[in-house]
Amino acid sequence: MRILIVEDEKGLAAELKQFLENNEYNCDIAFTGNEASELLAVNPYDFVLLDIGLPDYNGLDLIKEAKEYNSEAYFIVITARGELEDKIKGFDLGADDYLPKPFSLLELNSRIQAITRRKFGHKDSVINFGDFDLDTTKRHLKYKDRGIDLTKKEYKLLSYLVLNKNRVLDRLQLTEHIWGEFFEDDYDSNYIDVHIKNIRKKLSKYDKTEWIKTIRGIGYKFEF
Amino acid sequence: MKKLKLKSQLALFNALSKAIIITLLVILVPWLVSRISIRETDDILVQKMFQVTNLVDSLGIESFIDANSDFKAFGSYNILKEEYISIEPLNKDTLIDVIEFSQRIIEGELVDYRVLSYSIEENGKYYLIEIGKSISTIYRFEHNLKRFAFIFLVIIISVTLLLDLSFIQYLLKPFEKIVKKLKTTDHPTTFQYTPVKTNTADFTYLDQTIHSLMRKIEAAFNDEREYISNVSHELLTPVSIIQSKLDNILHESSLSENDMIKIFESKKTLRRLTNLVRTLLMMSRIENEEYILTEEVDVNKVLKNVVEEIEDKAVAKELELKLNLTDLNFSFIGNENLLFTLFYNFINNAIRYTDKGFIEIKSLKEKNKFIVQIMDTGVGIKKEKIPEIFSRFKNSNATKDSYGLGLALSKKICDYHKIDVEVKSEINKGSSFTLRFPV
Repeated sequence: MRILIVEDEKGLAAELKQFLENNEYNCDIAFTGNEASELLAVNPYDFVLLDIGLPDYNGLDLIKEAKEYNSEAYFIVITARGELEDKIKGFDLGADDYLPKPFSLLELNSRIQAITRRKFGHKDSVINFGDFDLDTTKRHLKYKDRGIDLTKKEYKLLSYLVLNKNRVLDRLQLTEHIWGEFFEDDYDSNYIDVHIKNIRKKLSKYDKTEWIKTIRGIGYKFEF
Repeated sequence: MKKLKLKSQLALFNALSKAIIITLLVILVPWLVSRISIRETDDILVQKMFQVTNLVDSLGIESFIDANSDFKAFGSYNILKEEYISIEPLNKDTLIDVIEFSQRIIEGELVDYRVLSYSIEENGKYYLIEIGKSISTIYRFEHNLKRFAFIFLVIIISVTLLLDLSFIQYLLKPFEKIVKKLKTTDHPTTFQYTPVKTNTADFTYLDQTIHSLMRKIEAAFNDEREYISNVSHELLTPVSIIQSKLDNILHESSLSENDMIKIFESKKTLRRLTNLVRTLLMMSRIENEEYILTEEVDVNKVLKNVVEEIEDKAVAKELELKLNLTDLNFSFIGNENLLFTLFYNFINNAIRYTDKGFIEIKSLKEKNKFIVQIMDTGVGIKKEKIPEIFSRFKNSNATKDSYGLGLALSKKICDYHKIDVEVKSEINKGSSFTLRFPV
């Protein structure tokens, strides 16, 4: 997968590149709109991470341009301006997702994966752990063909942990993924723990393996 | 007092002034007409008197009065008794020259006359000549004159009134358009800059002045929006860089558990900063009226959504979340996202300051007004602190690390939607927030 990062903040661009390359994506960086425009004209990208607050370009024009080159790239728009209008305009012009700054890198990864699943269909859509099957397109969990009843939030939490298996997910990342960008200020609240407790209870009915490990003071890790 | 439109005021004034003119004329015209007709009659009488005296001079008084007759007088009248002329000797030597109303008996009938009496001296003797004109003829003339004058007046006044009113209507049309343009504008960005067509210089000036003022307001508004947007970018981009760096460090599994916790703590602090910036920006955007208020919001549905999002927190604290919503259709024109934030903040606050018991969320209709009520069995707020809870960065409970912005933002959203908030609280018993929606 080839990703173009369009971001005028060099520090942020470098972090994005490092993270995405660790996740085995190939990355190019454009610091200006003009650079991005040239790169888009000659290279077939799968994804474009686009900061629409560029100094030399209206970021949304880049989407328009790319569509004219018949580019197949999916656009994830990043903005710190938080303008609702831009959000709507972005979707109108064919942006596939929208992330307000600051965002968690895992959340970015999860959005890229979600778009990939949506666009490329059923390939890799079922993830197995033990005798459990997690279907990420149909959004349900099965144990040996028996459906397990999970609430919407429990499903979201579990699939996020599974998709980022063997990685520590902190409470903030989990909160951001499930509750979005509310004006959340109870960081020490244990409401995530309640959901994790319920998921563990539901899984252990079928299989005693400790899939979800508690990382003290930080969050959880799905070990598989 | 209800204020009238300019057009109505002018029309009213016009009608009133015309009414005063009519009343004055109704009073004055008969008087004037009778004066004129009397004067006219008098002129005729004087003229006739002149002719009679000339006749007497040329023919001699003897042709009229026979000195030998017993009846020493002359009288003449026409058969309808409209006029009479009489000559009779006068015993006094005073000269008489008067015109007056008087009654005369002619052929046994009492008739009102306008009489000119005039004395002449002829051959050393005095004679009195009287010429009378029946008043009924004067009245007839007067009556006709009045009738025509009235018809004429009524026609003239109604025509001018009609003309005046349609002219006022025509003249003020551009003015009404300008007023309408202002009335339909609730935000500088929605102002219609089409110039109003008018031949009146003042209205053109008014229209142009409003346009230039509106442009200035719009520019100021856009500058402010641009400024907020730039501040947002300038503040959140560095935060974003730090957050990404921390994320990357955290994902390198070579860290010790202690370092990981430290980094996580830093992320939490960063998150606090992010929320602070976002809340402040949201408040600025509300102050700058950037949120549209034209969505039809199903308030009960929003409350249900908020509860769905937030119930985990109540469950984690083992608090009961009671939801009592009205069966009535509670729809409200406003901004759905802002209302969501408003309810979320109030309920979140209730959960945070309640350790045992329940939180009750109610929607109901009372005295024609819809109400949303959020009650808790929490720690409560001291009476003297209640007025400050909506100020920025003040909080009654300093032990909980709150930034005192949630309620300030909520108050802003309420003011923006013209929702009235009432707070009641009792220490250790709980608080209730009552939101009264405008009709």
